[in-house]
Amino acid sequence: MVRQAGAETIVKVSGLGKFFGAHKVLDGVDFGMGVGEVLAIIGPSGSGKSTLLRCLNQLEPHSEGVIDICGSRIAADAPLSRRDLNELRRRAGMVFQSFNLFPHMSVLRNVSLPQERVLGRKRAEADERSRALLDRVGLGAKADQYPARCSGGQQQRIAIARALALDPKIMLFDEPTSALDPEIGLEVLAVMQELAEGGMTMIVVTHEMHFAETVSDRVLLMAEGKILEEGPSVEVMRNPKTPRAQRFLQAVMNR
Amino acid sequence: MSDLLSFWATQLPALLRGMRISLQVTGMALAIGIPLGLIAALAVQSPSRLIRLPALAVVEVGRGAPALILLQFAYFGLPSAGIQLSAMMAAIAALSWTTCAYTSEIIRAGLQAVARGQQEAATALGFSRLDELRFVIVPQGMRVAAPALLGFAILMLQATSLCFTIALPELLSQAYQIGTITFRYMDTLMLAALLYAAICIPATVLVAAIERRLDRHTA
Repeated sequence: MVRQAGAETIVKVSGLGKFFGAHKVLDGVDFGMGVGEVLAIIGPSGSGKSTLLRCLNQLEPHSEGVIDICGSRIAADAPLSRRDLNELRRRAGMVFQSFNLFPHMSVLRNVSLPQERVLGRKRAEADERSRALLDRVGLGAKADQYPARCSGGQQQRIAIARALALDPKIMLFDEPTSALDPEIGLEVLAVMQELAEGGMTMIVVTHEMHFAETVSDRVLLMAEGKILEEGPSVEVMRNPKTPRAQRFLQAVMNR
Repeated sequence: MSDLLSFWATQLPALLRGMRISLQVTGMALAIGIPLGLIAALAVQSPSRLIRLPALAVVEVGRGAPALILLQFAYFGLPSAGIQLSAMMAAIAALSWTTCAYTSEIIRAGLQAVARGQQEAATALGFSRLDELRFVIVPQGMRVAAPALLGFAILMLQATSLCFTIALPELLSQAYQIGTITFRYMDTLMLAALLYAAICIPATVLVAAIERRLDRHTA
């Protein structure tokens, strides 16, 4: 399913560079995407995929270039104030590989607390929204449990609900299924697919090639901190042009 | 034997009065010192030198100087600076400082044990720095620190015995007093030791139970 990307641009990245010490992990990255688009970022480990994603919500401040995201402009030499950053992060929901639920709070509190603190919702209103979202990811019955009592797949779906509760404009997924065994990963992918079909704008860093090919509209293939290939998913994944991309896809598709 | 028991029975009320004071000093030192310890733990991690350096000074002096010196300083030293403290106030002030200094290190270790992903998740959700600490980092860090803090609280009760050097009528002073009157030091000190143990041993058991309870939700 390929949807027509909206005309309105939600993310535009130009000349993005990132150093860790003297090591350049991102080098001259440019890309853009429209509202409602689903973008998959694939590539070998250490290619800078996660760092790129983490620059978008400034968990990692970038070293070079400009990021326009959800109406905020972040230049490397003009970082945002914490206040503006919080506003950006509210609009860009993130889901982590390691879920990062708050273990000392019930599932319901995990989803409700950010709404109360960040959006200023009242407890009752936040809880109502949380229960609706937990139902949507199939975990309404887990609301009063603690995260440690939930499986990894359940925890990740709760983390998705927690991010969605802030009504984000875009969702950033950082290898959401990499910590899960393949069978459990499917339940998370199903939730993500449903989100994509509902029109959510998404960037997904992933090793799930099937998901990248069938759910995302476009694919970025990265290696050594650069974008090697970019285009409609099937095209990039079936007919890669560069030898490096061919090698990578050969390795991951035929297993 | 019955002589010893009847001696103890006569002296017990005075020792219990002393014990009450020991517990009061301990309670106040912890009630003041631990919150200050939390603040110091956060302050020594501050990126601002203006905050970090004074906090470091408070912590290092408090840990470097023996509690006995701090007590003497508060009771005998401060009057020459024009500050007169009662024995009780001096004891609370000095032991609060010790508590603050030691617990700040315990709490700092607890805060640093909180998984990095927790802070990232709070940041990514748009929490303010204060909310991040209040709802995510501090509650989890304090859980990690709790067993060590409770152990420290027991040590603090024992440290109140140092207050007999500033004439605070706590448990050891009372025992000493009785000793000088009756010359039965051994018998009196034995009873005092039993009273300390009567608090500390159940407290240790309680700490272990609390520790198990705190571990409940950790994966």
